Amino acid sequence: MILQQFFNAISLGSMYALIAIGYTMVYGVLRLINFAHGDIMMVGAFFAFIFFSLSSNFFLAVLLAIVAASVVGALTYKVAYKPLLDKNAPKISLLITAIGVSFFLENLFNMIFGGTPQAFNYPPFFDQTIEISHAIITYSSIVTIVITIFVLCIVLWFLNRTKYGMAIKAIAFDIDTVKLMGINVDFLIVLVFVIGSMLASLGGIFYAISYPSIDPLMGVLVGLKAFAAAVLGGIGSVLGAAIGGFILGFSEVFIVAFFPDLAGYKDAIAFVFLIFILLFRPTGIMGIDFEKQRF
Amino acid sequence: MKKTILTLGISALISTNLLAKDIKIGVVMPLTGAIAGYGQMTKKGIDLAHEMQPTLNNKDKIVLVYVDNAGDKAQTANAVNRLISKDKVVAIIGALTSSNSLVVAPIIKKYHTPTVAPVATNKRVTYANPYMNRACFIDPFQGKVAAKFAVDNLHAKTAVVIIDKSQAYSAGLAKNFIKDYKKRGGKVLKVLFITSGDKDFKAILSSIKAANPDIVYAPLYAPEMALILKQAKTLGIHKQFLAGDGVSDLKTLTGVAKDASNNLMYSDHFNEAAAPTKLSKQFVAKYHQKYNNEQVPSFAANGADSYFIIVNAMNKCKNPADKECVAKNITKTKKLEGVTGYITIPKSGNPTKSAVINQVQDSKAVYKATVNP
Repeated sequence: MILQQFFNAISLGSMYALIAIGYTMVYGVLRLINFAHGDIMMVGAFFAFIFFSLSSNFFLAVLLAIVAASVVGALTYKVAYKPLLDKNAPKISLLITAIGVSFFLENLFNMIFGGTPQAFNYPPFFDQTIEISHAIITYSSIVTIVITIFVLCIVLWFLNRTKYGMAIKAIAFDIDTVKLMGINVDFLIVLVFVIGSMLASLGGIFYAISYPSIDPLMGVLVGLKAFAAAVLGGIGSVLGAAIGGFILGFSEVFIVAFFPDLAGYKDAIAFVFLIFILLFRPTGIMGIDFEKQRF
Repeated sequence: MKKTILTLGISALISTNLLAKDIKIGVVMPLTGAIAGYGQMTKKGIDLAHEMQPTLNNKDKIVLVYVDNAGDKAQTANAVNRLISKDKVVAIIGALTSSNSLVVAPIIKKYHTPTVAPVATNKRVTYANPYMNRACFIDPFQGKVAAKFAVDNLHAKTAVVIIDKSQAYSAGLAKNFIKDYKKRGGKVLKVLFITSGDKDFKAILSSIKAANPDIVYAPLYAPEMALILKQAKTLGIHKQFLAGDGVSDLKTLTGVAKDASNNLMYSDHFNEAAAPTKLSKQFVAKYHQKYNNEQVPSFAANGADSYFIIVNAMNKCKNPADKECVAKNITKTKKLEGVTGYITIPKSGNPTKSAVINQVQDSKAVYKATVNP
């Protein structure tokens, strides 16, 4: 029973972690809470839904969906945020724009697909299970966990070991100096949005496989929780976002497991827990001092 | 010669127009949004009923005015106000579900507009309101039906109940199920709570597995029910689930849960395999013809009955546009031949009807039993 819940918690936490990384990276670079990020997750799931209905190759459909969703993510930056940044608009205007983009995406998909939940089809492979000492684990949660850890390692490697990663970290320090060094800042910010959107759409697709009904508002609550996970881990820190995602997944699952009577309050309790941690560590678990380090 | 015919024709047209009026019936329903599936099903039934009886006995033509409320309370209020003040409808069918019909009730009471709600089963909908009626049974009854069926037919001695805390519908059914089930000697092992929009039920399913009941009573809506059944199957929990009419949107249910939805039983208003009246047989045949042999959903049957109830009341009035008279005659409905059975509506506005128990089998509702009040 405990082992069962443990796997449930890690796979749910993985999805939160994937989405939270996007929040944290964009915040690190632009100091912007990109509220449209949760909707990118929904966009990714819908693209996978469309592409899989067109071709029978699920792997190909997922790849295309991730590419398409990252294009949407990059477009939100180019169309909505960049013009404001160029005019040195205050951060609050950017925030409001982000909320606007979020509503736009939700309503666009509502217009196209209707608000009724759609059944998300996927290969039966993901429904197969293995049993480890009475815990029944689906392939989908194993795939989710393995890929999340793999992707997390790649992102950390990219940020710390490659030139582009270093440049992104440098932007987070001081965007103007980096510009003066002759580095194409705009390209790097687009790259951040692309990476964030790829991870979010991957998270969205995993989410759709685990809970196979998708609707245009599916990203709202998950997005908020991922955002909370990013804050919990210490916003600006990639590793922190991942840890925050796992903590949120664990607290949600184990509250229901140990106190099934309180199941209806699980979101409330998870967030109370979050406030509690922030009381002791106001900058989050991996709290970042923005004067000294990045990501 | 030609001219005379033309003049005759025109004058005939004018005179019939003068004699036969258009009588408007407004329909408020979620045709878009998250619960649009229910609205679309009901609309099909109302459309077909309108096709079967497009005029009143005195040849007045009935015109249906549809307004979408997207399942939203504020939009429901706007829609009802618009229908009454702008479209000048005589009667209203709507707003389908309980929470939206509770918004409709005070408005139509204020404007004295007779209304029939097709599937609003919450007890309070018709409370102290002479203009508000419904075409369906009420929640307490549905809960009792499930309890009776569980004990008499399934011989279930123990049960776990799952309640959707955010839906008055779910709490109403569960409360009455628990009360009646205990009275009949059953034992409720556990009551578990979920919230609409929840996606992960593995934790509560594990606790159901531990409690090991004979049945699980889960009066939920289709999206949550589908995910519960699907996750139960992956966790290897093969319990008999029993639900209410909230899961009758089989398209959503079976689309998501696939074969995991097989064997689910639920109380419902109607099953075409047990068509109780001559009219229902006729309705079923026409429905198959019109909609591609699709199985008649119970919401379509209730939508049609709402229409027939209003038309029957209008026929009894000298002036069918007289709202007071129509309202009064709706609550005098006696043994009206409807699609779901013979309908009698008392002053309370709540008809007494029998329920059916359906079982999901390959995306279809298979008739199991009829439970009388």
